[in-house]
Amino acid sequence: MNRPWLKHYEAHVPHSLIYPEIPIQRFLTDSVARHPDHVAVTFNDLHFSYRNVNERVNRFAHALLKLGVGKGDRVAFLLVNSPTYVFAFFAVMKLGAVVVNLSVGIQGEELARCLKDSAAKAVVTLDLFAQGVYAVILNTAVETVILHSVFGLEKTLPLEQGMPQPLLFNELVASAGTAEELKVQVSPGDVAVLQFTSGSTGAPKAATLTHKNVVASVLQSEAWIGIRGAGNASVLCIIPFFHVFGMSACLLISVLKGYRMVLVPRIDLMDILSLMETLKTYKPLSFPAVPSLWAGILSLPPEVAREHLSPITVATSGGAPLPQWVHERFEELTGRRIVEAYGLSEASSATHFTPYPKGGPVGSMGLPLPDTEARIVDRETGETECVVGEIGELVVRGPQIMQGYWKNELLTSATLRDGWLHTGDLARVDSEGFFFLVDRKDDLILSSGFNIYPTEVEEVLKRHPKVKDAGAVGVPDRVKGQVVVAAIALKPGAEADKQELMTYCRDHMPEYRVPKAILLMEEIPRDPAGKILRRMLRQDARVSEG
Amino acid sequence: MSELLKELKIKIVQELQLKEVNPAQLADDTPFFDKGLGLDSVDLLVLVAMVDRDYGVQIFTRELGEKVFITLSTLAEYIAKTRKTR
Repeated sequence: MNRPWLKHYEAHVPHSLIYPEIPIQRFLTDSVARHPDHVAVTFNDLHFSYRNVNERVNRFAHALLKLGVGKGDRVAFLLVNSPTYVFAFFAVMKLGAVVVNLSVGIQGEELARCLKDSAAKAVVTLDLFAQGVYAVILNTAVETVILHSVFGLEKTLPLEQGMPQPLLFNELVASAGTAEELKVQVSPGDVAVLQFTSGSTGAPKAATLTHKNVVASVLQSEAWIGIRGAGNASVLCIIPFFHVFGMSACLLISVLKGYRMVLVPRIDLMDILSLMETLKTYKPLSFPAVPSLWAGILSLPPEVAREHLSPITVATSGGAPLPQWVHERFEELTGRRIVEAYGLSEASSATHFTPYPKGGPVGSMGLPLPDTEARIVDRETGETECVVGEIGELVVRGPQIMQGYWKNELLTSATLRDGWLHTGDLARVDSEGFFFLVDRKDDLILSSGFNIYPTEVEEVLKRHPKVKDAGAVGVPDRVKGQVVVAAIALKPGAEADKQELMTYCRDHMPEYRVPKAILLMEEIPRDPAGKILRRMLRQDARVSEG
Repeated sequence: MSELLKELKIKIVQELQLKEVNPAQLADDTPFFDKGLGLDSVDLLVLVAMVDRDYGVQIFTRELGEKVFITLSTLAEYIAKTRKTR
C-alpha cells in the first residue's frame, strides 16, 4: 500500500511500533515502580502520588470483588474527571472487568438503554447524578450503585422496593481489608472498555475496545508527540475521561509517562474560570482541548490569553476541525502550533495527527499514525479507492481499531469490513498523504466537541404535545464549530412560541443538544421516501440567521 | 444603571448570537445559566472577554465569577461599581 505520509513524519516518530502484550493497568503499575512519589492526581487542594493512587485502586478493586464484580463484568461509569474516576478505572482494569464509559449528560431513556445494552452489573457515579440513575435502574442488570458523595444527596434518594441501596465509594475504599495487588489474569485480548457513542438512528451503540486496542492507541499517540525527560510534568485534564480523547490524551498518556493529571471536573459552568486559574498555577506541559474551548480562551484579551497559554508545550485539539483563526491566534500569541488530532470512539482514540511540533497544512486533519492505514473510498459502495483529491469516505485500519459494536453484529459487519473501519466521515487526501475532513455522511452535528445526531434532537421535539414534526441541522458557528438549529411544524390549530419550545428542550435534553435557534414551518421538507431534506433546512437556517 | 443594563442585554444577545432572545423582553433578573439564558461554559468565556474588552472589567477567577455571573443585574451592578472605582 502506498503510504506517502511516511515521508512527513517528524524524525522522532517511528514508522512502526512494537506493541507490548500488556493490559492497560501495566501503565499504572510500571509508573508506581518507576516513580512512586510523583504526583499522579491533583484535584483542587488534593494531591495523590502514584503510590497513593495504586493503593486506592487496589482497595477499591478488592471491594468490588467482594461485591461480586469479577472478570468480564461490566461496570458503568457516570463520572466527571475526578480522583474517583482514576481509582475506579484502574480497579476495574485490574479485575479484568469492563468499564462502560457513559457521558454524564445522558439521562432517561438513553441512559436506560446504555445500562440495558451493556448489562452493567454495577454503576459508579456521583451523588449529583444518582437520581437520574435510580430513575431508570429497574429492569436493568444493575445490582450495585456506588456513589462518590459530594453534596450528601444520597440521603434524599427516593428508593423504591427492589432498588439497591447506594454504597459510598470512600467507605468501600476505607473498609477494604487489603491494598495488595490483585491476582486476576488479564490478557491483552480481553475487553477493557465499552465506549458508548451516539448512533445516526438515535440509538446509542458501544464500541468494544480491548486492552490491546487501547494500549496500541496510547503508544501511537505518545510516539507521535515524543516528549522525553519531562519528569512529573502536568497535563491539564478538562476533556472528560468518559470520552476516548480524554481517556487517551489525558488519563492514559499521563499515567504511562508518570505525569501529574490536574483534573478540571466541569461539574458546573464556573469550572471554566477555575481552568484559567489552574493554567496559571500549574503551567501544564500538555493541554488537550476541543476547538470551542480553544476558541473561547483565545477570545480573551491577547495579554491574558498569552499569559495563560505560553507555558503549554503540547497543545492538542480534537473532536472537530479547528478554525483557522484559532490556529493563527494561538501561533501569534505563543509562537507554537496547536496539533490537531482526528479520531473516533471506534478507534480507541486517534487515527490521525498533524505533525508535532510543526503542524500541518491549513485545514488538514493530519497524517495517519504509525501502523495506521487510511484510504478514501467511494462513498456509495465503500469499495473503489478514490483518486488523490477526490472526496469519498475515510476508512482506516490499525491496531487501535475496535473489535466491533457490543452485541450488534449487523452494525459491526456494516462498519468493519475486512478490518477496515468505515468512519462515515467524508474526506480527501492530497498527494503528500495529508488528509482533510470535508463532511459527514450521516448529518452528524459537531458542536463544542460533542457529537449530536439530528435524530437525538428530533425525537425529543416530536414528543412535545404541540409538535407535529421536527428536523434538526447543524449550522456553522465561529466559536462552537456548529450549533443546532431546529425546524418545527406544529399540529393543526396548536400555538406555541419559540421560548416555550426552547424551555421544553432544556428540560428534556443535555444542554449541548439544545437548539440555538428554532424555525417554525408549516411542514418539514421531506422527500417522497419521507426522509428529511436537510440541505433545504440548512439553507433555511442560514437565511434566517442572516 | 438601567442604561447599562439595557446596553448589556443587547451586547449579550449579539455577542452570543441568541437568535430566539429579544433583548427588550429580557427581565433584569434573568439568570445566565440553566432555565435562564441557558448559556454554556464557552459562552461564559466569550462574555468574560466581552466585559473586559468593552468595559475594562476583568472577571477571571471562579470566586468572582460565582458572585457576578448570576443574573443580568448582578453583572451590571458589578460593572457599574468596578468602573466607578477604576
